[in-house]
Amino acid sequence: MRTLHDEKFSSPEAIRQGFQEQGFIASRQIATTAYLAYHLEKPLLVEGPAGVGKTELAKTTAAYLDLPLIRLQCYEGLDESKALYEWKYGKQLLYTQLLKDKLDSIINRENGFAESIDKLHRYDDIFFSRHFLEPRPLLKALQQEEGAVLLVDEIDKSDDEFEAFLLEILSDFQVSIPEIGTIHAVTKPIVFLTSNNTRELSEALKRRCLHLFIPFPEPALERNIIRIRVPGISEKLGRQLVAFIQSVRKLDIRKAPSVSETIDWARVLLILHGEELNPDLVRDTLNIFLKFEEDIAVVTERLHQLTTNAVRSAGD
Amino acid sequence: MDRILSDFIVSLRHAGVRISVSETLDALHSVRLVGYEDRESLRDALMAALPKSAPEKEIFNRCFDHFFSFDYFADAKSSPDAQQRPVSLAADVPLSRMLLNGDQSALVMAMREAARAANLTDIQFFTQRSLYALRILDRMGLPAMDGQIQAMQATGSPGAAQQAAALEKARTMLMDNVRRYVEQQLVLNTPTATENILSSYLRHAKLSMLEQQHFQDIHVIIQRMVKRLNDLHSRRRKTAKRGQLDFKKTLRKNITYQGFLFDPKWKKRKVERPDLVVICDISRSVMRTVRFLLMFLYGLNKAIVRIRTFIFCSNLIEITTIFDEYPVEVAVEKIRLGADLPILMGRTDYDQSFRDFKTNHLGSVTRKTTVLILGDARNNYAEAQTGILKSMYERSKRLIWLNPETPSFWGTGDSEMKKYAPFCSMIKECNTLHHLEGVVTSLVHRHH
Repeated sequence: MRTLHDEKFSSPEAIRQGFQEQGFIASRQIATTAYLAYHLEKPLLVEGPAGVGKTELAKTTAAYLDLPLIRLQCYEGLDESKALYEWKYGKQLLYTQLLKDKLDSIINRENGFAESIDKLHRYDDIFFSRHFLEPRPLLKALQQEEGAVLLVDEIDKSDDEFEAFLLEILSDFQVSIPEIGTIHAVTKPIVFLTSNNTRELSEALKRRCLHLFIPFPEPALERNIIRIRVPGISEKLGRQLVAFIQSVRKLDIRKAPSVSETIDWARVLLILHGEELNPDLVRDTLNIFLKFEEDIAVVTERLHQLTTNAVRSAGD
Repeated sequence: MDRILSDFIVSLRHAGVRISVSETLDALHSVRLVGYEDRESLRDALMAALPKSAPEKEIFNRCFDHFFSFDYFADAKSSPDAQQRPVSLAADVPLSRMLLNGDQSALVMAMREAARAANLTDIQFFTQRSLYALRILDRMGLPAMDGQIQAMQATGSPGAAQQAAALEKARTMLMDNVRRYVEQQLVLNTPTATENILSSYLRHAKLSMLEQQHFQDIHVIIQRMVKRLNDLHSRRRKTAKRGQLDFKKTLRKNITYQGFLFDPKWKKRKVERPDLVVICDISRSVMRTVRFLLMFLYGLNKAIVRIRTFIFCSNLIEITTIFDEYPVEVAVEKIRLGADLPILMGRTDYDQSFRDFKTNHLGSVTRKTTVLILGDARNNYAEAQTGILKSMYERSKRLIWLNPETPSFWGTGDSEMKKYAPFCSMIKECNTLHHLEGVVTSLVHRHH
C-alpha cells in the first residue's frame, strides 16, 4: 500500500520540496530522517525544545501524503482504554435488555441448569466482538485502509507503563485484545512520537524508533521560515527580527522564544506596519514572544543594545 | 555485513553510546538507502538510526568526525611556510624536510609507521594518551628536529631564525596531529570497561577529593541512580494505592444497572508522602558533599518526598524557594556562591544556627518529619546546644546525621559528634556517592 506514496518520498530532496509546498521548511537532516523513517517503516521519535515544529512535522507529512492524521495526546494517567480501545458498555447493556426475551427462550427450553449455561456459553462472545468495540486512536490508526499518519504527541507526559504498552504497536504494528485476539495493521501507519524531554524515555522505546533531534533553527533557516510563513514581510525586517530572536535565545532566560513565536511576532509587526526594528516597537511587542515577567525584565534591560546589534548584523 | 559500518559502531559503543542489534540493522538499511557518497547525508542517516539522545548525538558527531576523516596533516599543505625552499641546514633531518615541504602523504605514512612501532593498538586508558603520543613523536624523529631548531637559533643569522620559527610552528602542528591520531585510536580501542572503571571509581571516591572535570560524569551517575530510585518507588506507590473492594460503594453505584455489578469500586489507601527537613552545613569542608546530596534529593520525584531545605554556616536560613524557582544545578551553584542570600560565611557556628532554627523553623518538624542533618559537627568550641537537637529529635519521626568525616575523627578536637550522638536515630558516614545512594534509598524505603 505504501508504494502509493513512494514517488512523493523518492528522495530527501523531494520530501524537502514537498514539505515546503505545505509551508514547512525542513532542514536537510529532517528530510533525510523522514525519508528513512518512511522507507524503513520505523516510527520516528522527534525531540527538541517546545515550538520548533515537532507536531507540525507530523501534520505536514499527513497533508503532503493526503492521509488522515490520527493524534493521540499523551498525559499522566493515560491508559489503554483511552488510547487503544474500549468496549461499548452502553450498547452491550442495551442489547442484553433488548434480547432478554430471546435469551429467556434459549435458556428456558432446556431443562437442566448445566445445559442452560452450556447453551449460553455459545453466545457470550457475541457481546465481545468487533461490533461492540470502540476504537481509540491507536486502534483506529491500524484499521485505516489507506494508511494514516499516527501522531503520539508528548509521549514524555505519559507514564512508564503506557510507554511499555506502546512497544507492541511500534515494533510490530499490531495490538492484542484479550477477547478477540491480535489485530494487525491493514496498512502500516507512519508513526511520529514527540517528546519535550521532561523525562528520560526508556531504552526499549528508543531502540524501536529512529530518532530526530530538532534544535532551534539556524538564522538562515529561520529567515526562510519567516519568508514562507509571513509572506508580506519585508526582507529587511525579516532579517532584523530573526537576528533579534537569535540573540534573545542566547540570553539566560526561563523560556527561549520558539519558532512559532517568531512567526507570531513577525505577523504582529506586519500588522503594525513596522518598517524596521527600533527599541520602542520591540518594547511594545515583547510579550508576543516572552511569556514570563522575569524574561521580559531581562530583555528590557538590554533592549537598546540587542536592537542595535540586530539592526547592524542584518544590514551586513 | 558492511565492514566500515560495523567498525564504526564498535567505536561508538566504546565511546559510550549504547547500540543494540536492531539499531545496527536500522543503520545498515539506512546506509543502503543513502549510500556512502555524500558525507553529510551519511551523517544524517546514521544520526537518525544510532544515537538516541542529545548527549549521545554529541558523542556521535565527535566519533563520526574521527572515524570518517583521513585528513591528517591537511594543514601542512596549506601552510604558507611550505612555499619557502628550506636552506641547506634543514635537509639532514627527514622529519623537518617533510614538514617544511608539506608532504602530507609522507607524514601520514611516517606517523602510521611510528604508531605501529610504538604498539599503539595496545592503548587502553585515556591517561595513556600523552605517553603514546610521545613515543610516536620520538620514533618520527622529533628529538633530532628539536636539536636542529636549537642549532638554528644558536647561529643567529636571520635566515636560520626564520626557518627555526617555521619549524617551531610545524612542530606544534605535528604534535596536534599525532595527538589527534592517538585519540582516535583510543576511541577505537578502548573497551567499554574503561567507562565502567571510571564510573565505579567515581562512586567510591571521596567527594571532597574529586576534580572539577569529573563533575559532569558524577551528575550523569547521580541521574542514573535517581532514575532507578524513582522508577522503583513510583511503581510501588501506584500498586499500593489501590485497596480492597468497597462493597457498599459498589452496590450503590451499580443500582442503576439493575444491581448487576458492572462497575466495581475500590477502597483507596492513602499513601503518605514522607516529609523531609534537610539542614546542611555549607562551610567549605562540607560544601562538596552538600552539593551532591541536594542533587540527589531534588532529583527524586516530588510525589515521593516533600523537602524543606535549610543551610547554615554562621547563621541559618531557609532556601526551599530557590529550588522551586531554579533547576537543581543552578540552585546548587547559587547556594555555593551565596550571592543574594542572607547567609554569613564566617566560622561554622552550630550554636547560633541551632538557635535560629529553634526560633524560626522548629514548627516545620512534626511527627511525620524525617530530619536530615549534614555537617561535620565542628563547632569551633562554641556552645553545642544539644537541648535544641534533643527537641528536634523528640518532635520528629527520626533524625539522621550525616557526617562527611570518617568515624575515627568523630569527637576529636572541636568535633561535637559524641555530644550530638544520643539525639540521633542514626549517624552515618557520608563522603562518597555510594554512601549518598545508601542514605537516600533508606529514606524512601522506610515509607512504603
